[in-house]
Amino acid sequence: MAAAPKIPVEPSYRDIDRSVLRVMEPAGLAYWAWIGFCFTLVAIAAALWVRQIYSGLGVTGLRQPVMWAIYITNFVFWVGIAHSGTLISAILFLFRTKWRTAVYRAAETMTIFAVATAGLYPLIHLGRVWFFYWLLPYPNQRYLQPDFRSPLVWDAFAVSTYLTTSALFWTMGLIPDLANAREAAAGWRKKFYTVLAMGWQGTDRQWRHYSMAYLLMAGLATPLVLSVHSVVSWDFAMAINPGWHSTIFAPYFVAGAIFSGVAMVITLLIPMRKLLGIEDLLTEWHFDNLAKVVLLTSLVVSYAYLTEAFMTWYAGDPMEQMTFHMRYFGPWGWMYWVMVLCNCVIPLLLFSPRIRVNMRALWIITIFVNIGMWFERFVIIAGSLTANLEPSQWAGYRPSITEIMITIGSFAWFLGLFSLFSRFLPIISMTELKEGIVWLRKAIKMDRVKAA
Amino acid sequence: MRKGTSISRRSFIKLAATAGAAAAIPGCEPAARQLIPYVVPDENVVPGVPSFFATTCSECPAGCGAVARIREGRVVKLEGNPADPIGQGSLCARGQAALQGLYNPDRLARPQVRGDDGAMRSISWEEAQKMLGDRLLAASKAGKDRVAFLGSPQGPTFRKIALEVLGAYSSSRAIFYEAISQEAARAAAKTIFGRRDIPSYRIDQAEVLISFGADFLETWQSPVELARQYSLFRTPQKRRGTLAIGRAIYVGPRLSMTASKCDDWIATAPGAEAEIAWSVLNVMVKQRWVSQNSGFDLAALAKAVANFDPAATSARTGVPVETITRLGEAFGRAQSGLAIAGTDDSSAHLAAMIINAVTGNFGKTVMFLEGSPAEETSTPDEVNAVIEAMRGGKIDALFINGGNPVFAMPASARVAEAIGKVPFVVWAGGVPDETAAMAKLLLPAHHPLESWRDTAPRAGIRGLGQPVMQPVFDSKPVGDILLGAAAGSPSAKLPWASAAEAVKTEWLALAPKAVGADPEDFWVSVRREGGLFEEQHLSATSLDLSAFKAPVPAAAQPELSVYAYPHIFLYDGRGADKPWLQELPEPVTQIVWDSWAEIHPETARKLGVAKDDIIEIKTEHGAIEAPVLVESTVRPGVIAVPLGQGHRAYGRYAKDVGANAWAMLAAGATSAAATARATGGTRRLVTPLGKSDMMGRSIVEAMSIEQLARGVVPESGAEEVSGPYEMYPPWKYPKHKWGMTIDVNACIGCSACVTACYAENNVPTVGKDGVDRGRIMSWIRIERYFPPPKEVAQAPQLYLAPMLCQQCDHAPCEPVCPVFASYHSEEGLNGQVYNRCVGTRYCENNCPYKVRRFNWFEPEWPTPLNLQLNPDVTVRGVGVMEKCTFCVQRIQFAELNARTEDRELRDGEIVTACQQACPTRAITFGDSNDPGSAMMRRREDNKLRNYRALEELNTQPAITYLRDLYREKGGA
Repeated sequence: MAAAPKIPVEPSYRDIDRSVLRVMEPAGLAYWAWIGFCFTLVAIAAALWVRQIYSGLGVTGLRQPVMWAIYITNFVFWVGIAHSGTLISAILFLFRTKWRTAVYRAAETMTIFAVATAGLYPLIHLGRVWFFYWLLPYPNQRYLQPDFRSPLVWDAFAVSTYLTTSALFWTMGLIPDLANAREAAAGWRKKFYTVLAMGWQGTDRQWRHYSMAYLLMAGLATPLVLSVHSVVSWDFAMAINPGWHSTIFAPYFVAGAIFSGVAMVITLLIPMRKLLGIEDLLTEWHFDNLAKVVLLTSLVVSYAYLTEAFMTWYAGDPMEQMTFHMRYFGPWGWMYWVMVLCNCVIPLLLFSPRIRVNMRALWIITIFVNIGMWFERFVIIAGSLTANLEPSQWAGYRPSITEIMITIGSFAWFLGLFSLFSRFLPIISMTELKEGIVWLRKAIKMDRVKAA
Repeated sequence: MRKGTSISRRSFIKLAATAGAAAAIPGCEPAARQLIPYVVPDENVVPGVPSFFATTCSECPAGCGAVARIREGRVVKLEGNPADPIGQGSLCARGQAALQGLYNPDRLARPQVRGDDGAMRSISWEEAQKMLGDRLLAASKAGKDRVAFLGSPQGPTFRKIALEVLGAYSSSRAIFYEAISQEAARAAAKTIFGRRDIPSYRIDQAEVLISFGADFLETWQSPVELARQYSLFRTPQKRRGTLAIGRAIYVGPRLSMTASKCDDWIATAPGAEAEIAWSVLNVMVKQRWVSQNSGFDLAALAKAVANFDPAATSARTGVPVETITRLGEAFGRAQSGLAIAGTDDSSAHLAAMIINAVTGNFGKTVMFLEGSPAEETSTPDEVNAVIEAMRGGKIDALFINGGNPVFAMPASARVAEAIGKVPFVVWAGGVPDETAAMAKLLLPAHHPLESWRDTAPRAGIRGLGQPVMQPVFDSKPVGDILLGAAAGSPSAKLPWASAAEAVKTEWLALAPKAVGADPEDFWVSVRREGGLFEEQHLSATSLDLSAFKAPVPAAAQPELSVYAYPHIFLYDGRGADKPWLQELPEPVTQIVWDSWAEIHPETARKLGVAKDDIIEIKTEHGAIEAPVLVESTVRPGVIAVPLGQGHRAYGRYAKDVGANAWAMLAAGATSAAATARATGGTRRLVTPLGKSDMMGRSIVEAMSIEQLARGVVPESGAEEVSGPYEMYPPWKYPKHKWGMTIDVNACIGCSACVTACYAENNVPTVGKDGVDRGRIMSWIRIERYFPPPKEVAQAPQLYLAPMLCQQCDHAPCEPVCPVFASYHSEEGLNGQVYNRCVGTRYCENNCPYKVRRFNWFEPEWPTPLNLQLNPDVTVRGVGVMEKCTFCVQRIQFAELNARTEDRELRDGEIVTACQQACPTRAITFGDSNDPGSAMMRRREDNKLRNYRALEELNTQPAITYLRDLYREKGGA
């Protein structure tokens, strides 16, 4: 792509439109090679999944007693990441946060595709996936219902609600921008955007309905940020295993979700901003604020770790203490300490205002954050199972090639979809930028002053 | 209509109609399938209703009776025969697994002959019989005794048949031998009682038991019967005003399963057991802790054992003086005692017999019984004579049936070389083994379960075996093969034409000769009972010490020796072709599908080896390689290796698994001086076991008999539970609530329950790799824990207990299943609906006992192992969770019967598979709603010993365990 023309210091609506729509021009070979690479990995993962369905879960490394490991870790990881997108787009909308405007579309997109990725995992890990629909309460002549006491059924409801709500919210938010794109496009693209824009004309009436609907959807999506991951965490908290059975899980996991999610937003936006040439719209000011959220949630997560350790010691239950002893000092103890390093220590660097706006440092820090968060989920889920209540059934676990490739494939699925979106749909909300144009001008001015 | 996509009314209706029509086309009817395989069923076959035939088990010489449960013409389960005095209704793991020998996919399917180029060719039975008859005739024409029969003992009638047939060929060389021989015991009995018999035991009549290397709960003589007696021996009873249990001490090189159930294990080098025994006798005689009228000249006896005073023995064996004197005192001062020996040298057996006799226990705890004699086996001299005759080219035709001599005879006998010199070798059997690989003619023989046969394991006991189903393969009874061949010989005057006729004739001769008694009634009754069980009378036996020579202390122990013992499940190797037996973890080491070299940590350090390193163990007779297991369950300086593994043929489950310890041994010896060196290779020993330390958790609990006598419940590390904590209204059980009481003190770890469960519930095996990857499928398992070092004085030597689904009232697995596959039944069971399970595996994650099992792959049973599957139990597919159901199919069966007969269920009518198999009756199943049921009474009668596993979790299990009992160390 040609070098981006600098946006003027006092951009007009047209300047904003042009900057964003420029990204949606036909892409070059490098882009398509990347998409091809992603979807090749997805195809490999899909093939391995089909083989797993055919042969059985024996092709994984799962075993007695570690019956949930990488698949469920990935599930919780992706669901967690999804939450921050909704936090940014819905909750910060209600708070009228100014810096949210340029990043929220990408964050929300990340949410959609993270939930789409997460939603695959309950299917992947099922022993008889062809009966997955039995988890849903559909009328049948045997009068069978799912068991509503089971956290997995709560998951089914929570995640599907989240997916539906986020998708609606996202689609709705896109409509004015898609109409914009429709006007600027030609050929098959014009048809494509016409269909998607659903006849948006930008009339006064439409804007009023849009604003009200958007506000209501934001309100609807807000509680989901807290509830969905709480429900997912109760998969573990409702179980009897030491290391799982803890009342702290809901806030612990939600804080962790925001933490890893915002870090993932940053991880995605930094290269995207460079590759798509939208540095002018995604300014240091935006990243500074995102980094502050990462720092805050990192402190909350550190506090949660300390609380958990304290309560284990204070409660004096020898079985729980042994499980935690194994978590800190057992064969997988290295994972725990990597997690502490990545989640608690490294993010402390974000106290420095210079680091918060240093793109390279920020990117590396947020990648470490996500490595740490992945290990946190794994250590809790699989680690607790290896050191369970029955010592004669303690065993280690090693993922098989199927699980590793499906994990890699799911990352490729997410990145591939996100990359597709970033070129075909408006990656930054032109509508909101225009709504908050005053602040945008201020931000651009600040940036130019710094650069000068 | 605005711009954008729009659809006209017409198109919409078109689309909807097509879609609707497509959905409405019904699926094709499934092709009609046959549910009932018969148009005209056999008279014994009512589809859905089992029939039962009594027979005998042939998996070891104990000869327990068995009952076969037949469904639709095929045997699906073996149980013990309650009428049989040996097994008394129990059947051990080896017996349960006999079915896998019957249905083994590698059984010879048709007669085969080996060409000169070594290639096998299938031939017809006519050809085979003709070849056999011709060659035997030719051999007999060349001279006397040129035909030989070599095989395992198969009952008195078969012995007669073989001798008759051999006689028709001018030969008397019939050898019936057991690889795990009782020669040492017989030789000792001959020395001092003048008879080559094995005595009978009553462990339950003794107060003290000393075992000199006899694994009487595993592989020694009659393990099921002795286990039952042992459980009575260890049941608390009032003795001289206080509650007491029998005291048991095991003297031997290894902490076997038997040793772990004793109070003490005195570790000795192999061969030193005799030394200890003589020293014990020395102590007792010197202190006059002997009976005054036992018939012994005490002065002469004291002189004979003068070399074995405790100090001298201690110096030679390393066993402390204090231990020996206390052993002598315990035995000598007890009201009754029993010493048994299981070593390969008759010196220990001699010492044990004299210890029993001199303390007046002969006739009380050990005795000879009169009645129809036990089956004779060949002496070692007779066996050697035939082998040497073979080696010398004096045998032209050899017929082999059972025993697998090429595998199971010690290296020093060089049997393969001898057999190689015989020009015509015939092998008759099931799965072709190493001996079959040397035969020219291979004949498929009936499995014992398909044959008419009898057993005489002990005086006064004759078991009758009848075919329980039509032959699975194109095989013939061995008796018929022999008689068929001999019928062609011109000098033959055979009394019977077939084995069936022979058995019937012999048994009719046993019928009572009272006036008016119909022999046919007798024939019916012995077939129904499974044999003729006479009342056992003591046989008059007198001491005859004329042949007794004073024992001489053994030579110094070598620095390193190897000790071979029969594997509890594989026995002498015959069990290796059965996947259930290979997959059962050996109770003490918990290893599956392999052999191992058990080495003490000190010895391992000296040799510079660690776990899984492969070492080469070399004796003067041969060498083997095996991976190392480092445990304190073996004496330093001893390498313990199990016998029975290491086949190079014998079917897919046995071939190339482990190493054959016979290859290192001398004839008649189970140990040898050895050297060992690391080979540099490693092979991971596979076990389903995780950690061996219970870490104070309440899973298997024990208390001392002293605490029980004082009425004190031991403190456990677990939280005090004051009663069930209910958040919801408790379950209501209007009719029955099923539960179990499991007596951990009675459990010996023999895994009969585990095998019975595999057989009853269609549990698949997963092979060595499957177990290694944590996929073992056993619904019930024997938990094995070592007491931590600081608790050793207040614990049994090993914690062993069955662990199965606890059928909890507050089952953690129930609320987490999203689809109600795991649910609570009206009778207190936690049910698992296989058809509903989608395989989320949350239930197993939430089970604290980890008793649920997941089908990681589609389970397979290679034909004809699938014939063993129980039609009453669903066969689960891939992706489905399964677990113990308290044999709900048996519960259903009994409830339906009761309803049909319009009556209430009786206590004891429902017997779970594990309960039925257990030799020590450790498991009792029953109705918690019925306080008079055997299960509830057992709980009540042992109130102080009650505990429930992981009770503090408030799972409210339906299974109550009774604590194991141990003796406080340093106590009387």
